[in-house]
Amino acid sequence: MASAFGIITTTANRLHVEGLEAHRPAASFSVLGRYRTVDFPVCNMTNSGIERIQVYVNQNPRSLTEHLAGRQYNVNSKTGKIQLLFSEKNTANSIYNTDIAAYSDNINIIKRMHQEYVIIAPGYIVYIQDYKALLDQHIASGAEVTLLYHPVNNADTRYIRQRALTMDESGQVTYMHYNNGGDPDKNIFLDTFVMKKETFLSLIQKAKDYSSSCTLARIVEREAQNGMKVLGVAHEGYFACFSDFNAYHHANLEMINPEVFTQLFKPEWPIYTMTTDSCPTKYFEGAVVRNSMISNACKIEGTVINSVIGRGCHIAKGAYVKDSVILAHVDVDENSVVENEVVDKWAHITANTVVKPAEGTIGYVERDDTI
Amino acid sequence: MSQNKMLAMILAGGRGSRLYDLTANIAKPAVPFGGKYRIVDFPLSNCANSGIDVVGVLTQYESVDLGSYAANAGTWGLDVRGSGVYVLPPREKANADLNVYRGTADAITQNIDFIDRFAPEYVLVLSGDHIYKMEYDKMLEYHIANKADATIAVRPVPWKEAPRFGIMNTDAELNIVEFEEKPKNPKSNLASMGIYIFTWKKLKELLIADSTDPASKHDFGMNLIPAYLSGGSKLVAYKFEGYWKDVGTVDSLWEANMDLLDPNSGLDLSEGDWRIYTEDVSEIPQYIGPEADVENAYITQGCRVEGKVHHSVLFTSSEVKKDATVIDTVLMPGAVVESGATVIRALIANDVVIGKGAVVGAADSDKIELIAKDVKGVE
Repeated sequence: MASAFGIITTTANRLHVEGLEAHRPAASFSVLGRYRTVDFPVCNMTNSGIERIQVYVNQNPRSLTEHLAGRQYNVNSKTGKIQLLFSEKNTANSIYNTDIAAYSDNINIIKRMHQEYVIIAPGYIVYIQDYKALLDQHIASGAEVTLLYHPVNNADTRYIRQRALTMDESGQVTYMHYNNGGDPDKNIFLDTFVMKKETFLSLIQKAKDYSSSCTLARIVEREAQNGMKVLGVAHEGYFACFSDFNAYHHANLEMINPEVFTQLFKPEWPIYTMTTDSCPTKYFEGAVVRNSMISNACKIEGTVINSVIGRGCHIAKGAYVKDSVILAHVDVDENSVVENEVVDKWAHITANTVVKPAEGTIGYVERDDTI
Repeated sequence: MSQNKMLAMILAGGRGSRLYDLTANIAKPAVPFGGKYRIVDFPLSNCANSGIDVVGVLTQYESVDLGSYAANAGTWGLDVRGSGVYVLPPREKANADLNVYRGTADAITQNIDFIDRFAPEYVLVLSGDHIYKMEYDKMLEYHIANKADATIAVRPVPWKEAPRFGIMNTDAELNIVEFEEKPKNPKSNLASMGIYIFTWKKLKELLIADSTDPASKHDFGMNLIPAYLSGGSKLVAYKFEGYWKDVGTVDSLWEANMDLLDPNSGLDLSEGDWRIYTEDVSEIPQYIGPEADVENAYITQGCRVEGKVHHSVLFTSSEVKKDATVIDTVLMPGAVVESGATVIRALIANDVVIGKGAVVGAADSDKIELIAKDVKGVE
């Protein structure tokens, strides 16, 4: 499908994940101990035959730059290209730091793309989608813009601050609003757009003319209300949005389930990520591991229950880890307890320590911290 | 990296017939090892970690799989300018007919033109079927310091086992004075590891002389080393004390895998500064189910464990279903143990399915059971 190029977007400060995001953009968040969020949109594109991909980044680019510099993806190294594009203006925490501002900064690169269509997908939502099928559907429907959404029945407690779509009977989008709870039945917008490059360029211009804080979603909603044919298409399968800290913890634990992870990882739809050449994991005498996803290069001597363990972690003898997301290279020393936590990379929980947040909350241990 | 003065040649043409069905379709060096690796990853990673930039891989038996695997030089970081992994099966030449490699030395002789292209001062000759970590650059320093014509890596073996090996008899300075293949009454316990550093100029002379000798088997141990000794060349032994294992039999392949579980074996793949590199796979992390019981195990990505796994090594994407029991066993990539099945002291080949309730192997068996075909379940 060389007729489309891809754009992978940032959260543009609309969504914020406490703690984790201080160290890397949401696109670089660890998923299931091994992947980065951005692996999903990139592989959705490459598996759909899209070989020209622009990844936008607006802060802490180190982790994402390093990750995308690898050769892990199935993109032809001559005909394809994954570009990392920066939003040049230093307005990291400003309402003017919109996706439109980032596209404007790189407008000449977008104009030079040869492909007729563009697929715009979020770098912060985990889902599987065949964009070739979506583009075919877009063309067949005669829509000017197609938006991908997922109907849910638990929006009262989850997907907070995510956009939701309202559509009429024909599927025409009439409203987009932020989910602030309330009605559990909503069509959560997966921040995924399909349109012609020309339509995209004209929407960027219209958004700029309208307001310097206008986003692509906002201008699409406005144009839809003015008669532009904007159709919603329902997504099938699992999706997870790291819209806030609790959602990140919840989604990772939710994926420790064959019924869930088999929806994301299919033999015919490989998700590639950067290799670290880590050795397999060693389980010692006395180890107890139940219902968990364990990455390579770990040493497990203690107990791990309902948790995701990243690469190269050491869970010492007598240590007890439950309902937690442990990122790479964390040491949990002897007889320590970690419960309901997200423990960031390279943290060290020293012996006989209890790390457990107040009932009903999720705790966070800083990167490189020693407790 | 700048161009190294030593080039490596890995002898990877052997079939490994004592591995039976494991090498029915692939050469021994391509056989999986240690959960996610292949045997040939060890010499290739050692080369990369020792700063060797150019590696020739001499293939012959079932070379398609091994050849395409080894040619992917990026796996070991050898795909940058000035580096490369060159797969060298026998080939037809303008001045010679297509000829199989008649022996280990002949494999090098037939590639003299290849080696000369790089004009190395030294050539490292390795086997593609040993599990060990070794700093070849240290061995080269030793070779140079000793002004040797050839240096042979040796390791001390228990005296009673010495008759099984090629033994190097040395003087007190470790100068090799005699080589004996499987001596009945060994005079030394220093066994050759099949790792040689040769000063190229001298080796080339001797290879050319050997190639036209009708009595020669064209073998390093049998012909070349004796030629060095009779010609008065300086041959030195380089003592290696670390872990090393020839994985040429089902039992030794199983044992070497089990050594990964033994903290005293000396085989540790977790050292960050001397990694073994291998092909990257896209499998997800290992899933350990709610009723799983995993102890004393070495498990890699893509595995799904819902049953009991004790003292075993699970390779990429192998599965142990609910109520299944796996003890003292190696599950090669994609092997599946269905629910209720029991597998003890066995080596289960790639993609083999052990059916529901089946029983394979026994705790008191002498030999390791190699299962290369699906085992029917008990319905």
